[in-house]
Amino acid sequence: MKRYLETGNFAITEGALLAGCRFFAGYPITPATELAEAMSRRLPQEGGVYLQAEDECAAMHMCIGAALGGFKAMTATSGPGFILYADPYGWALGCETPLVVLNSGRVGPVSGITGAPGQGEFYLTRYPTQGGNFETIVLAPNSAQECMATTVEAFYLAERFRMPVTVLADQLITDGFEDITVPENEDEMKEMGFRVWPRKVHPGPDFYPPTDAIDVPPVVLGHNTGALCSDWTPTEQGYDIEEVEAHHKHAYRLIYKVRNHRDLFKHHYDRKFMSDDPDLIVVSFGTPARVVNTAVAKARSKGMKVGALRLINLWPFPDELFKANAKYLVVELNWDGQLVREVQRAVPKDSKVHFLGICGDLPTQADLLGTFDKILKNEPLARRGWELEAW
Amino acid sequence: MKYASSELTTTYLRSRKIPSTACSGCGLGMNHKIVIQAIQELGLKVEDIVWGTSIGCAGRQTFATWKGDGFAGTHGRVYAIARGLRVALPPEKHLILTVGDGDAFGIGLTHLIHAARSNADMTVIVNDNLGYQSTGGQYGWTTPQGSKTDSSPYGMFEHNLTSEGLDVMHILKGAGATFLARHVSMDGAKAVATVKKAILNRGFSLVHMPYPCPTNFASRELGSRNQVNIYRWIKSHAAPLGKEKADTLWATGVWHDASNSRAEFSQMVWETVDKIRRTGKI
Repeated sequence: MKRYLETGNFAITEGALLAGCRFFAGYPITPATELAEAMSRRLPQEGGVYLQAEDECAAMHMCIGAALGGFKAMTATSGPGFILYADPYGWALGCETPLVVLNSGRVGPVSGITGAPGQGEFYLTRYPTQGGNFETIVLAPNSAQECMATTVEAFYLAERFRMPVTVLADQLITDGFEDITVPENEDEMKEMGFRVWPRKVHPGPDFYPPTDAIDVPPVVLGHNTGALCSDWTPTEQGYDIEEVEAHHKHAYRLIYKVRNHRDLFKHHYDRKFMSDDPDLIVVSFGTPARVVNTAVAKARSKGMKVGALRLINLWPFPDELFKANAKYLVVELNWDGQLVREVQRAVPKDSKVHFLGICGDLPTQADLLGTFDKILKNEPLARRGWELEAW
Repeated sequence: MKYASSELTTTYLRSRKIPSTACSGCGLGMNHKIVIQAIQELGLKVEDIVWGTSIGCAGRQTFATWKGDGFAGTHGRVYAIARGLRVALPPEKHLILTVGDGDAFGIGLTHLIHAARSNADMTVIVNDNLGYQSTGGQYGWTTPQGSKTDSSPYGMFEHNLTSEGLDVMHILKGAGATFLARHVSMDGAKAVATVKKAILNRGFSLVHMPYPCPTNFASRELGSRNQVNIYRWIKSHAAPLGKEKADTLWATGVWHDASNSRAEFSQMVWETVDKIRRTGKI
């Protein structure tokens, strides 16, 4: 193993290469630019291709093209580019093409502030395209090291589920310098828990069976298998057809191949101080979780019975982690509250869910400890000027 | 009685999709046949070609007709998809894209220009039915000026991409395309000869092929769905390059042939990757 003091973008690049990624197409955007730059430097060294696209929509389409040609491919962007993925994301879901997409979140909406972290795409990664009738898989790292792990895992899941998998990071994680360990061989990768699934080739000419089966190889063109894939509703033979019954089979597959195999990835979460049924569970993901962990440890030393639950697998939403009848506090890098809505839905009926939103910045320890204290004492949370409703 | 076209069909096309579900009298089949015949005359086999299509009449009616591997991309994005696929495919595979005018010259024009710029090896056949006909007949970027369509009930009054001295061919030539040609679907053997050249160019080739739409374009503009009228109308508005008349809408023939004059995209990419790998620089 080799240690580096490097950025999350470096870790993602090395993770992608370890997972077998040999194609990257992107479009410059802060804070994902450094990843594209790292890819442009590293991919050719490993016999891979880096291409710059005319826009994000083209970038992801180029990745799908390369994936359809048999390559493991990846693209990366931030929120304003992620919305241009709407078109290709849907196509990749429909064609069931393995692919990895990184979104490094910054504060929005629209271009917002390029240099401030944000978590405004929690729902957008669930519904990155139109039409519905699909599930998405989303992983959220909270450190440079974990950026590498989630990237490797995203490639693994993309192959097995034959679909795009999103890694949702934020500006602080991808740009921040940290201590990173890179495995140098397969044994070291195994030791670090990295899983790799090779690209296989669908024997064709049939498309996919109307089952929830995973591990069916994806369509790869150019092997003269008669393989077909399209944006239309396919029959099992891959033909475009306007038939509701065929669409039912297609939609069933897109939804249930993920829902029925969540065991493969639902262990991706992190819990701290959760063994003694805490009175208050603080829920977060990404960078804010690091501040939360520190605050929860401090709260424990002050005698507050607080625990921390950090989600890594964001979608499909891990409802099973919210069985405890406790108070919940959801900490997010946005003011509108996104994750909190899912937590409200998932918790037991009598549990109260509170929200602490920070816009373009991180919460402070004082913010968090003060909020824990008030919630535990059943005192109303201080209303801020921007709060239109009390969570 | 055995038709020459039945041999083309059985050799190269899937019986499931041929005959197509196109409207009665649609001219798309003529363009389709021109391309298949060019493939046959070049002696290419099913496995030599990966076929891509897009949205609209041209995309929908030609998708999954090719016996070999094929895809239908999102609207206007097939040129970006094709660039990614081109890099991944072995260089000897030909990439043929049958798309529509809205796809190539409207929603996909940016991607098309960048495909031309990079000189990625693909043959784009733009099947132009003079507007958005699969959505019922709205005007597009090649709809002749003055034409009545469902969204230009008083006549198409905008500048378009094929008149007043402006031509989409100039844009593509300026962008770096190495083979550009135009034929109407009635050009038969001449069009076949051109498409053969387009396929043989190891780079970006585009053949623009206007074809008659009796159902929507003709019924609004000519007031008749009679196929003969629209076939005659298209033919009368086409003339070989250099022999244009006052009412010529489409100057036909090879517009620009710089075949194999510029390095091809994927070849350049792989040579560069190889060089960086060996020497650390380019």
